[in-house]
Amino acid sequence: MKQFLLHLDETNTLGRRFIIQDLDETHLFISSDVLELLMTRVDDLLDQISFPINERE
Amino acid sequence: MASTGKSVKAPKSKTLRCRTLHEYLKSLSPSVLDRLYNHPSTCLAVYRELSEIAKHYVIRLLFVEQPVPQAVIASWLSKTHAKEHKEATDTLTELRVWNEASVPGGLSAWILNPIFKRNAKVALLGGGKPWSMSAKLEQDQKARDLDFLNQYALERWECILRFMVGSQQTEGISADAVRTLLYAELMKCNEGSESPVITKDGFQFLLLETPAQVWYFILKYLETVETKGLDLVECLTFLFQLKFSTLGTDYSTEGMSEKLQIFLQHLREFGLVYQRKRKAGRFYPTKLALNMATRGTLKQIREPGFLIVETNFRVYAYTDSNLKVALIGLFTELMYRFPNLTVGVLTRDSVRAALRSGITAAQIIGFLRLHALPTLATPLPPVVADQIQLWEGERERLTTTEGVLYSQFVSQADFEKLRDYAQDLGVLTWQNDKKRTVVVTKQGHSDIKKFWVHHQKGSQHS
Amino acid sequence: MGNNKRSKKDYSDKKTKRKKKEIEDETYVDDPEPLDEDGVPVAAKKNVEKDDAAVPEDEFGAKDYRTQMILKPDHKSRPLWVAPNGHIFLESFSPVYRHAHDFLIAIAEPVCRPEHIHEYKLTAYSLYAAVSVGLETHDIVEYLKRLSKTSVPDGIVEFINLCTLSYGKVKLVLKHNRYFIESPFAEVLQKLLKDPVIQDCRLRRDTEDTQVLINQADKKLKAPQFGAPSSSTTQPAAPTTDQPDLEVVVPEDISDFYNKMDKQDEKEDEDNIMKTVSFEVNQEKIEVIQKRCIEMEYPLLAEYDFRNDTHNPDINIDLKPSAVLRPYQEKSLRKMFGNGRARSGVIVLPCGAGKSLVGVTACCTVRKRALVLCNSGVSVEQWKHQFKLWSTADDSMICRFTSEAKDKPMGCGILVTTYSMISHSQKRSWEADQTMQWLKDQEWGIMLLDEVHTIPAKMFRRVLTIVQSHCKLGLTATLLREDDKIADLNFLIGPKLFEANWLELQKRGFIARVQCAEVWCPMSPEFYREYLVCKTAKRLLLYVMNPNKYRATQYLIAYHERRGDKTIVFSDNVFALKHYAVKMNKPYIYGPTSQSERIQILQNFKLNPKVNTIFVSKVADTSFDLPEANVLIQISSHGGSRRQEAQRLGRILRAKKGAIAEEYNAFFYTLVSQDTMEMSYSRKRQRFLINQGYSYKVITKLAGMDEEKSLHYGTRDEQGQLLQQVLAASETDADEERVAGELGGGGGGFRRVGGAMSSLSGADDAVYHEYSHRSSSNVKHPLFKKFRA
Repeated sequence: MKQFLLHLDETNTLGRRFIIQDLDETHLFISSDVLELLMTRVDDLLDQISFPINERE
Repeated sequence: MASTGKSVKAPKSKTLRCRTLHEYLKSLSPSVLDRLYNHPSTCLAVYRELSEIAKHYVIRLLFVEQPVPQAVIASWLSKTHAKEHKEATDTLTELRVWNEASVPGGLSAWILNPIFKRNAKVALLGGGKPWSMSAKLEQDQKARDLDFLNQYALERWECILRFMVGSQQTEGISADAVRTLLYAELMKCNEGSESPVITKDGFQFLLLETPAQVWYFILKYLETVETKGLDLVECLTFLFQLKFSTLGTDYSTEGMSEKLQIFLQHLREFGLVYQRKRKAGRFYPTKLALNMATRGTLKQIREPGFLIVETNFRVYAYTDSNLKVALIGLFTELMYRFPNLTVGVLTRDSVRAALRSGITAAQIIGFLRLHALPTLATPLPPVVADQIQLWEGERERLTTTEGVLYSQFVSQADFEKLRDYAQDLGVLTWQNDKKRTVVVTKQGHSDIKKFWVHHQKGSQHS
Repeated sequence: MGNNKRSKKDYSDKKTKRKKKEIEDETYVDDPEPLDEDGVPVAAKKNVEKDDAAVPEDEFGAKDYRTQMILKPDHKSRPLWVAPNGHIFLESFSPVYRHAHDFLIAIAEPVCRPEHIHEYKLTAYSLYAAVSVGLETHDIVEYLKRLSKTSVPDGIVEFINLCTLSYGKVKLVLKHNRYFIESPFAEVLQKLLKDPVIQDCRLRRDTEDTQVLINQADKKLKAPQFGAPSSSTTQPAAPTTDQPDLEVVVPEDISDFYNKMDKQDEKEDEDNIMKTVSFEVNQEKIEVIQKRCIEMEYPLLAEYDFRNDTHNPDINIDLKPSAVLRPYQEKSLRKMFGNGRARSGVIVLPCGAGKSLVGVTACCTVRKRALVLCNSGVSVEQWKHQFKLWSTADDSMICRFTSEAKDKPMGCGILVTTYSMISHSQKRSWEADQTMQWLKDQEWGIMLLDEVHTIPAKMFRRVLTIVQSHCKLGLTATLLREDDKIADLNFLIGPKLFEANWLELQKRGFIARVQCAEVWCPMSPEFYREYLVCKTAKRLLLYVMNPNKYRATQYLIAYHERRGDKTIVFSDNVFALKHYAVKMNKPYIYGPTSQSERIQILQNFKLNPKVNTIFVSKVADTSFDLPEANVLIQISSHGGSRRQEAQRLGRILRAKKGAIAEEYNAFFYTLVSQDTMEMSYSRKRQRFLINQGYSYKVITKLAGMDEEKSLHYGTRDEQGQLLQQVLAASETDADEERVAGELGGGGGGFRRVGGAMSSLSGADDAVYHEYSHRSSSNVKHPLFKKFRA
């Protein structure tokens, strides 16, 4: 998950860099104003990799 | 500024808790408690829910007129059960069942609350004036049988629940019920929308078993009775009398005060009592009143299960009740309604929608298990339970804590000073001594800042 | 109320999302062909589901049928609900489940059959199938009404009428070597005869020129039952499970009807004594008339009256006494031979459930020249073996016709070949040409079509124009294609005659009890980083080569080797296949592996107690017979193919003896790298099996893996090196192996040649070369050198 955030940061996907400091393997210090946008990105990722197990035929 | 970290354990999502009777009573003022103990029925209700050891103490002290030294009471129980002893004595103290006293020689002692003692004797041994509601009535010309009463109670209660899930069939919900729902924050009024909508707490409330729901609801209601000009003690006492009344028997309203009559009407609206008409002069308690889960979990109005959940995430509900269907619809995508069957499917979207509204995976799983058809070998396929949990876990992949970061300390000592201070205050979120970096919570920021400015002028923080 | 609005909105969002998914799905189509609707009757295109659009939704977004149906007072003793959109829900725990199940499988398609409630769907095809196995419109409607807990919606009755009234009314029958169009309904035949095209196809014999129709009363000697000529097929003790359970209350109208239906098969011949009208048609014009009849909505049912066929000689085969049919095998054959003639159609049985015995029995019943078509040279050998195993046929009677084996066809009774061998249009050898010529000239009694679902409809049509056969039997494990071409099979071969219930076979011990598991392997941070950056096909390589996946594989292999299990590891990606296998020092087979080496590896796996794990690429899906194994691990697979998933599961389904005590006796693992597209593919693949009642346990952490110290790629360093190798690999390495449709027949048809890969990948990967050497197929695996010494 952290890698995904780093990727978003590096590619300026949210329109700008948002990581203030990389704390350790599981923690990042980020700018709080992108939080909402970030969450939707993470949701998008999860949406993408989940396939409905049981769509209606 | 905020720090995010996936390893930060998410705070356990707030689950709705139902206070027990004791917990509720402890929250009342001593004078109210004493007034309550004026009624044998309250004493009996309190006594019944004491632990075995506490009951034992009460019985042994019931006919003792002097204070008994605490050391003596402690000696009634072997030392290996000190923990149970402590629990029991604490409870009795908090409930004001006994009070502290001292015996000559300065030893601390306990003596039963005289009001409690007097009325507990009546409750346990009989005597005194009849403490139950008066049942001396002429035969009711239109007596109601149990089936009718049960049906009535269920309908009234479901009316409230249906209102909560936003069902269109909500005729007959009383204004007081709506007010209580709003007060209890089970529903809220959004700006711009006329009708109230359900809250997270409301969702969790719906998943409770009925007796727990009633108790939770009534407690919230009781918190508001005084604003309605009613007397809390009077209401509570009446409730306890109801709890010890007999199902299927009618009781007279004679001698009830004006205020109590109003209270009775509210209970009637909620379905705890039945009255043919307001001025009927008699009322019947229903099982809602008798079964109130004052202990948190209690025997419930358990209907046979009606759900089948398949390994392919299909949900089949043998019901035509709009309420049940609405409940299942909270986390299921509904597909078909047949006259006695509803077909739905658990999807990632539908479950996530529920999770977003504040229902937990455990609650969904619990609900599905609880209401499974009794004939099923496995009430809920493990894969389905696992998947619901995975869907919940998915939402917790990323957790965030707001905070402020301090770094670039000049010396290790400075760093440690600040870190230790933050730790003492309990506001430390993250620290690394190699990087000399500290993250503190937002709440802690101003304290830390003050501390730091005070401590040293030349330090920086970002 | 506000809440309600919210959820409605949610659902509409969902619907658009679902649309999007559907579009994405098309990428994974197994066998994309332009949709060709020729030769499909109009009624068959009808979809009741569309009638559903007008049904009101209740406040929760569900279709509300409550106003359309009335609950019967005794609904508890009736087992099903029929929705106006043709979906049927059946309680499997109902006392009359058996009654309903047999009926539903005949008239409807199973949608899902988990443990408690099964869903079926009425379609035009399924009703066509019902009619062709002898059910009549009235019976279908009547029985459905009796079984239903509620009144049956009018729309459904109408739909059944529409789909069945014209179907099955006309039969194409070959009698005494002459083709007849036959029907008990004179008015239908009159109608057909008014059509100029059909008139043109009609064959008028001089003697009966004036007679418009031949009225005939069929007199049969006796109602023959399938397999009757051979005493060896008689079942020892008929299975009692088919008998309605008498202890429970079964509404009388249901049991009466059930008994009537059950006997219908046998009875039908007596019914046939009633008058049928028929006219003869010109053999050359069969194709034309078939098509024309379909256009006129009277599809011809093909039935073969093999007992009265004196033109074609009988072949002398019978089932061996040792061949004992299981109840479901017998049932499927009863559908085929129910009325004493052979009906064309498809029988669907899971892998490992004994499809070949069904095929062999069918041939032994017809006892006329049989043509067996399969999809690879290896299968040809298998079929020959199966015939020898179950029937009295010997080498002289069985002829193989493949690019490798060309037995003399003349005088043989059973010819086994591949689809591609028949349909390919390239120049053949003189010898092969002779055989083809002979094959074309024959009038085949029965044509067995193995794995029908894998064959492109186009190839199919070609085969059918080349080969003349009286009756066609398709066999398959899954009537499932990622495209919708399966519908074509209905009219090219015939309706589905029987479809087994996987869960039921498992419960009764006919197939293994499999624990399916999806193992989630977290992507290592470095690999995931590259994965996110990578926009090309190499992404696949990154998630397949994920060190955590490698370690999980290694752990599982070690775990099952210790248990004494036999494990097959599947990887569609060759780069990964080789890397995993070489690093773990296990034998592997993929396209370029030579026939002799394959045989050697397979023999060792079968017999050598030291070889318990082999790695195979997707060539193993179809091209050769895998020896018995009870553990299967998938590390990379083909997109979202449900069929491949089912087929792979089939590899471990053969029921194991003596392992009843354990809850599961076979294991099926799919390893997926977390947070990658692989997760989605994996879920998509599972859908079919989940609908058959299988469940996949998600394992997010393999217990005990941390203690296993011998696993590779434990350090950052090693993982870094692995990443470098993956990054250095070429784009083409990310492809899965292409199996070029086995066009050449046999094993030689693979386009990919190992040697070419290194040149494609350029000079930048010295590391890769190390492995590409292995592809020169004569090098023996080191393991075998060791064991042979």
